[in-house]
Amino acid sequence: MKIETVDADVLCIGGGIAGLMAAIRASELGARVVVVEKGSIGYSGAARMGNDHFWAYVPEAHGPDMRAFIKECMLTQLGPMCSTLSSRVVDTWMERSLEIVKLWEEWGIEMKYQGQWEFAGHSFPGHAMTHLKYSGHNQNIVLLDEARKRGAVAMDRVMAFELLGGAGRVTGALGIDTREDRLVEFQARSVILCTGSTRRLFLGVTPALIGNDTRPFTLTGDGRAMAYRLGAELVGMEMLARHVGNRYFVRSGQGTWIGVFRDPYGRPLGPYVAEPSRRYGDITPEVDKSLFARVMESGGGPVYMDCSGISDEDYEYMRHWLVQEGSAPLLNHLSEEGIDPRKHPIEFMSYNFASIGYIRCNEKGETSVRGLYSAGDESTFGISGAAIFGWVAAENAAAYVGESAAPAFDGENARTEEKKRLIETLQNRMDGTDWKDANIALQQVMSDYAGPVRSAPMLEAGLSHVRRLREKARNTLRAENRWELTRCVEVLNLYDLAELVFVAALERRESRGFHQRADYRMTDPLLNDQVLIVRNVDGKPTATWREKER
Amino acid sequence: MPPVIDLNECIGCGKCVDVCSEDVFFGTKDFGKSIEHKPVVTYPEVCWHCNLCVKACPVAGAIRLRIPLAMSVAYKDGPLGNS
Repeated sequence: MKIETVDADVLCIGGGIAGLMAAIRASELGARVVVVEKGSIGYSGAARMGNDHFWAYVPEAHGPDMRAFIKECMLTQLGPMCSTLSSRVVDTWMERSLEIVKLWEEWGIEMKYQGQWEFAGHSFPGHAMTHLKYSGHNQNIVLLDEARKRGAVAMDRVMAFELLGGAGRVTGALGIDTREDRLVEFQARSVILCTGSTRRLFLGVTPALIGNDTRPFTLTGDGRAMAYRLGAELVGMEMLARHVGNRYFVRSGQGTWIGVFRDPYGRPLGPYVAEPSRRYGDITPEVDKSLFARVMESGGGPVYMDCSGISDEDYEYMRHWLVQEGSAPLLNHLSEEGIDPRKHPIEFMSYNFASIGYIRCNEKGETSVRGLYSAGDESTFGISGAAIFGWVAAENAAAYVGESAAPAFDGENARTEEKKRLIETLQNRMDGTDWKDANIALQQVMSDYAGPVRSAPMLEAGLSHVRRLREKARNTLRAENRWELTRCVEVLNLYDLAELVFVAALERRESRGFHQRADYRMTDPLLNDQVLIVRNVDGKPTATWREKER
Repeated sequence: MPPVIDLNECIGCGKCVDVCSEDVFFGTKDFGKSIEHKPVVTYPEVCWHCNLCVKACPVAGAIRLRIPLAMSVAYKDGPLGNS
């Protein structure tokens, strides 16, 4: 296998919203930028189908008090999602949001509706409107064009899978070509990880259709796994999240629907709206993401999204935003099946649990490793988080590169050779385990032992099993071709993350959110301002509590 | 399972293969080189049904998504309250 060397000041790993925003900003600040993406840049990541909600603070709409706005936002699903972030991170996010909104508008992503700021959905009636409506169907392509205009180099079909460096700093990364027999050694003065969320760790809604998920199949937490192995701190690895959406056709976008969530007798599930509301939608599932699962499990279901009584104008408005949001395939399916949401209430469900857990970053996008930054769903969440922190991380990475302290690549031959041997071994095994077997083995043990019910004996048993499986996977995984090789490398990353989930879940001796311990049933208020950090200490995952930064 | 290609309509341009980040068409030989080289759907089960291959296709009807039965939306064929 040939090794090719690529040199950059700033290497952006992942070509979604965060990676492209980072590439644009670092390039315009004078850095030589490479964006590497295992899929196709412009058509990759969770946002590639579009989006219609952008969390932003717009003073002319929200008033002059940003803190009051943030406080209101924390009442919605944004609250739990921000729980492991410092308030400085959240402040920076909101302080810079309007600047990014205006840039997007300037570049050709419509951030206004009929010439005005438009806010709808994801909000409680009578409270602050949290999300700007925008037309995001073309966002990835627009950002790719802007990155290219500024001279960033886009490299498709290469999966960066290992960071290079040591002694608390990063010097580059290794990537495998997902189609050709080639290893790429990136020599970079700074790296911005932008690899998105972690899927395929827990079983999905349709286990046999591994791609039926709210996020694409290729998002496997690679950035977290790489960062962890190099020594960066991860936070909240024990925590779980779940989405709510259409039953079986797994999609995001619940907040775009205009209607009322009702039981079979027509009774509203939540107290917020009784009739379809264009302005508010129905925020009920955001308050309790497991509500629909409990209703179903207790025999009170199914739960329906009832759009009956919606005006023609509001119905067209909803369809417009569902298209922007990326739900055109769903709308096509409804139309092909003769399903009209105004006449046919559509079932919604609580989807399966998924891992969250972030690479711990400060308000500059810096990780605990020098020269290593992170942005997007691996350190915050959602489109606006990806856009704003991609931008912010790039500013700080470019400044880091400009300082003399940034060391040049000084040779990482041993690491490169070790990883090259791993890749060749996976390719050359004549017989062995296929990636899917190894992935499903992992998903079932995660769902059974680290899912919604946890206890020390279960977590310890699950951890032992995962470690045994990982050893077997390392010794037997076999790739038939480059596509399968990519999947094998992803699965090995997932096994590393699985171990961290167990280690952190064992350390959190309380119940909080979806982390429910049968042996520690209370939420311990003494842990309210603490975060649980996991990091690699001499090859062993170590969990420690730390005071949450202000 | 998706995507489904009408080989009579497909002109072998390879645009669908280019845009697919899951690379469900992996192994398609010499795509885009001639009309003889049609995309092959090698890994349908990982499709995200994002529709980008359909949008990228220059020939209407040459490629479409077939939604698996396991993903069929569940709904009620009439108003609520009459259970």
